[in-house]
Amino acid sequence: MITLDRLTKRYGERIAVDGLTLRVRPGAVTGFLGPNGAGKSTTMRMILGLDRPTSGAALVGGVPYHRLDRPLRVVGALLDARAVHPGRSGRAHLLALARANGIPAARVAEVLERVGLEPVAGKRAGTYSLGMSQRLGIAAALLGDPEVLMFDEPVNGLDPDGVRWVRELMRSLAAEGRTVFVSSHLMSEMQLTADHLVVIGRGRLLADAPLSRLLAATEVLVRTPHADDLAARLAAEGLTAVRRGENDLLVAGASAARVGDLAHDAGVRLHELSPREPSLEQAFQELTAGSVEYGAAR
Amino acid sequence: MRNAVAAEWVKLRSIRSTWLCLAGGVVVSVLGAVALGGAAAMEQPAVQATEPAVSVMLFSQYASITLAVLAVTTEYASGTIRPTLQAVPVRGRMLAAKSIVVAPVLFATGVLGGAVAALCAYLVLLAPVFPAPAVLDPAEAAADLLGLGVFHALIGVLAVGVSTALRGSAGALAALFMVTLGLPLLLVMTGGAVALEVSLRLPTFAGMAFLESTDNLTGGPLPYPPGEGLAWLAAWTALALAAGHAVLRRRDA
Repeated sequence: MITLDRLTKRYGERIAVDGLTLRVRPGAVTGFLGPNGAGKSTTMRMILGLDRPTSGAALVGGVPYHRLDRPLRVVGALLDARAVHPGRSGRAHLLALARANGIPAARVAEVLERVGLEPVAGKRAGTYSLGMSQRLGIAAALLGDPEVLMFDEPVNGLDPDGVRWVRELMRSLAAEGRTVFVSSHLMSEMQLTADHLVVIGRGRLLADAPLSRLLAATEVLVRTPHADDLAARLAAEGLTAVRRGENDLLVAGASAARVGDLAHDAGVRLHELSPREPSLEQAFQELTAGSVEYGAAR
Repeated sequence: MRNAVAAEWVKLRSIRSTWLCLAGGVVVSVLGAVALGGAAAMEQPAVQATEPAVSVMLFSQYASITLAVLAVTTEYASGTIRPTLQAVPVRGRMLAAKSIVVAPVLFATGVLGGAVAALCAYLVLLAPVFPAPAVLDPAEAAADLLGLGVFHALIGVLAVGVSTALRGSAGALAALFMVTLGLPLLLVMTGGAVALEVSLRLPTFAGMAFLESTDNLTGGPLPYPPGEGLAWLAAWTALALAAGHAVLRRRDA
């Protein structure tokens, strides 16, 4: 369990994480989505005690990270796969981490085996491909057999086999009852992996909901020559209709049947009535619209 | 703490720069001791063989400093500092563990390197070109070698502190070079009496006073006892560690 309580990080004038409050629960893969620069990595670094929050708190299992006696046995994290001394072998890197937390050396061989890095474990980490570095980072995260796992963009640089492997690994870790918190800017990836989604933009929480609910937020597109009349009728029913062009309305929170019935009651002719189930991609884009740090000019 | 120390030891021994620095320090000690011993033997009879081995610390200290600097700054350059602090989140403990590992490694190298250097100087001075062979008084030699070990250990821990405060290899090495050589020379060159007194208490001269090295840049023995030299050296080391700790605690990793 990871708990964030009004977690905030400022760099001078710029606010990177803005009053983030949420719980990441065990037994599920929680996707942490946001455009680049939204504050995902900063949030993860604060959870791990690497960056100091300006205000608020980040707790793991109810305590701040630095209070954990042998933290790798509680939280395993992969932040940056390249964060290994290029002259040190993968095995020595893992052994140092194991020693630091009283983890037996035999466990190093186990995780190397599990990530398939055993054949190159004695080579200098600087010679590893990005995919191999990712595997080493994942091995480090698994080292202490922790209850909580955090991965920052874990599929970057992996080939399709590697991507599938990471996906299955995360699913199986969650199935074992662990807390799995994975950041990504790739919606399609999260759609396949996550049970629950946390979406942030410009450091603020935009959504915190099960994947199914974010996908279920259906809208209905209505085309009618009497758009104003229908919009008034829908407003009277407490529904919001957004004008899209002269004859089109986009109605949120109602089924196609309901919109059709209301139109019939109001005596409004319809030319088209179509439900739209947004992909996660669309849901994400709508949520983060206006919160993209470095958006292209439109 | 024991776990953190064990981890730092794995890290120190698993990079090549550590071993290159140790080997480099021994090579510099041997060559320097032979050269200085030979020069001394031309002017005075019965040179104590460990004496040139001690004097060469002015140069061999940079091997120890480089080892200590790289043990810290490569963590920042490569980003390994983040996994390191994930495993040992109490920052003071990480810094202490690094110092605890670097100190005995440099102590042992100081003693062994000094012994090899003294032995080489002794053997070379047996050559007939020199008016008299060197002497090797065991008690004096033991004291000299232990002193060398302590000096290298302290200067190394000082470098750990400075590097932790500055984080970059280039900056840390430049700063340490200034503190150990540039600044004392500059102060001596100003010719001022106060400047000279200050200069003589900076780490390098303090180390020379501690080791009773007579072959120092001022041309004579230092004007205060060895114990005071050790105290000054230890004080600078403590100051550097405190600075490193303050930065480590305050700044994001």
